[in-house]
Amino acid sequence: MDKKKILLVEDEKVLMETVTLRLEDNGYEVISAYDGFKGLEKAKKEKPDLIILDLMLPKMDGYKVCGLLKADTRYNKIPIIMFTARAQESDKKMGKEVGANAYITKPFEPQLLLEKIRELLKK
Amino acid sequence: MKNKTKTKTSKIKSMTGYKGLEKKYKDPTYKYRFLSYLMNHIPDVIYFKDTQGRFVMVNQTHAKCQGLKPEELIGRTDADLFPKKRAQIITKDDLYVMKTGKPIIDKVESAMRRDGTYNYVSTTKVPMHDDKGKIIGLMGITRDITRRIRFEHLKEEKARMEKKLETLEELNKMKSEFVSAVSHELRTPLAIIKDIIMLLIDGIVGPIKEKQKDLLMKAKDNIARLNNIIEELLDISRIESGKIKMHYSLINFNDLLMESSSFFKKLAQEKGIDLGYNLPRSQINIFIDAERINQVITNLINNAIKFTEQNGKIKVEVKIFETKVRVGVIDTGIGIAKQDLPMIFNKFVQLTNESQAKRKGIGLGLSIAKELVEKNGGEIWAESELGVGSKFYFTLPRFYTDKALNKDIRDKINYLLEKKLTVYLINLLIVNYTEFKKRLNIESGKLFDDLIVIIEETFKKFCHLGRKELQIILKDYKKGECGILFPKAKEEEATKFCNLVKGRINKYFTKNKLENIFIILGILSYPSKFHAITTSQFLANVSIKKICIGSEIRRFPRIPYMADIDIFLPQNKTESYQTMDISEGGVCFESGSKLETDAQIQIKLKFPKEKEPLYVRARVAWIKAIEKMSEIDTVKYRSGLEFINLKNRDKKIISKFIKSISH
Repeated sequence: MDKKKILLVEDEKVLMETVTLRLEDNGYEVISAYDGFKGLEKAKKEKPDLIILDLMLPKMDGYKVCGLLKADTRYNKIPIIMFTARAQESDKKMGKEVGANAYITKPFEPQLLLEKIRELLKK
Repeated sequence: MKNKTKTKTSKIKSMTGYKGLEKKYKDPTYKYRFLSYLMNHIPDVIYFKDTQGRFVMVNQTHAKCQGLKPEELIGRTDADLFPKKRAQIITKDDLYVMKTGKPIIDKVESAMRRDGTYNYVSTTKVPMHDDKGKIIGLMGITRDITRRIRFEHLKEEKARMEKKLETLEELNKMKSEFVSAVSHELRTPLAIIKDIIMLLIDGIVGPIKEKQKDLLMKAKDNIARLNNIIEELLDISRIESGKIKMHYSLINFNDLLMESSSFFKKLAQEKGIDLGYNLPRSQINIFIDAERINQVITNLINNAIKFTEQNGKIKVEVKIFETKVRVGVIDTGIGIAKQDLPMIFNKFVQLTNESQAKRKGIGLGLSIAKELVEKNGGEIWAESELGVGSKFYFTLPRFYTDKALNKDIRDKINYLLEKKLTVYLINLLIVNYTEFKKRLNIESGKLFDDLIVIIEETFKKFCHLGRKELQIILKDYKKGECGILFPKAKEEEATKFCNLVKGRINKYFTKNKLENIFIILGILSYPSKFHAITTSQFLANVSIKKICIGSEIRRFPRIPYMADIDIFLPQNKTESYQTMDISEGGVCFESGSKLETDAQIQIKLKFPKEKEPLYVRARVAWIKAIEKMSEIDTVKYRSGLEFINLKNRDKKIISKFIKSISH
């Protein structure tokens, strides 16, 4: 089976490293972007199987990236997991409404993240 | 011009007979009389001194102040009357006036009275000349201005206190902001540390030994604890700064509880505790902030699990009352000492009791729960016995009550209800308005006016017959809320209208490329029914996904009324109070003693027009502790009683009485 490709958009370098380690350990290929603009670019160029998107990003925030991808028929099938430190219900609602497929609050349970990835990739 | 004035004065003169008086009072004896009258009756101190500083003439007040007669003061100097220091100052001033020929006007000084108290005086001294212009002495007037000065001091003090208060408020705000910022900044590094530890535990970066894993697990547990504290601090700072916003929606309450039940059951099982849910069979929809109420329930159940030993029992129950839903979390845990019970909902509470030493944490959980419950319109209270267990209860209103409405709207609704008309209130609220305003830099007034135009235009199209009136009552530009009254409407009409408005607002947002707006359109009907349409509108091209409509019949209207009520407590104790409000389902009253939740008691109600009092049984549905306003106040409890097994005869009497007072 082909390795699934995951795009991780996260501005915290250490978190990028740890999540990448975990994803690679679970057999995924990880490509990374450190800001919203680069994230959007890479999503369009690399067409990943799944995107993990931080909410607070430099240059372009997660909502915007998610909204733009979901509004484009070429990319709107890529599942997106929103990733943030904020635990507000309104943020969650917003994330879902811009078309995010799942929402994970930091600090997160690694198992929960892996479960969500597996679940979304199955579809 | 000149003439005019002249005629005017002469008119006055003739009117009062001034001319005659003038002549009379020109007489020097009269002049003297007037002056001596002034001298002896004015409450100011008046004196004349010669160049040596000796009194040549003083008035009554001056003499009285010294406890002497006026003539006894003649020839004396200030050195005879005042302490040395004060006399020196007076002499210095006197010399200045007499040497320079310049007056001293309104010099304020504090002086000691004969009784030893201090007062404030204002002194004016002018030189006196003889015919040749040579200074022969001075005259002075001294007035007691203690009251005025004291008043000014008070005013200054008040201003100082106000400034202090302002500073304190500012400091408090800064503290809240600081706590919020710090907590926020702590989250990300904490998330990173946790992730690193989890990588190590899971052996992703290489195998680790059992002992190492054990220690890392402990580190992980403590990160969870720290994270909990941070969340609590953030919540408290949000509550304190008023930043906490409720996001109300219509929620099926049983579903809300069941959602987390498996998680808690598992958690309890691990500790060997039996956790059971006792929910009502009927489905109940309430208008609350589900996330926040879930937080309260989580806190209470977590506490119950934490403080209950193995083989203990925890029961989560929901009871429906006429205007409230009550949630109870009842455990057989370690309990809370009686003296600690009233304090457990306070911030940072440190309980001294030995059994409480086991209660860890910084004690914010329950105070947050209290704030959240109260923000949702409910009450929270606890009952407990050491070693037996604790019972925590909170209530939520079953209806989006009138209290939440603006006064103008309430008045208008009452007016229409009096005319026996049905009224629909459509409430439009942009939930993330402030944030949205900041983001788009839109002028709040314009957006609102646009929305109102949309509503009016929709209404014109919707109601071409023009037989109904639509009234926009409240426009709150700050909150992003407006209320529209739709009198004489039918339910379907109101819902249909609301959906039309929703569609048009969507179009407007699409056209103007406005994104990420969360709007609630609620319909409330008067009398008796409740509806809510929740619409979420985020990206302009995303259609509305969620519409939920619910309805509840308001069974018994509560009417404020003071009737006599006696409650019969165990051991033949009777307490008499007055009701606060009354309905066909129960009564509410304030008492000095705290009743027990769910206790069944006998009560005696006396209605003015009934000869015989009513004896009925009632159950304690909810309790609210009334905070003391001052130290002298005694603690009071407001209790809601629900009638049980009401006899038909009594039912009739109560409903007849309520009808008579509600009109």
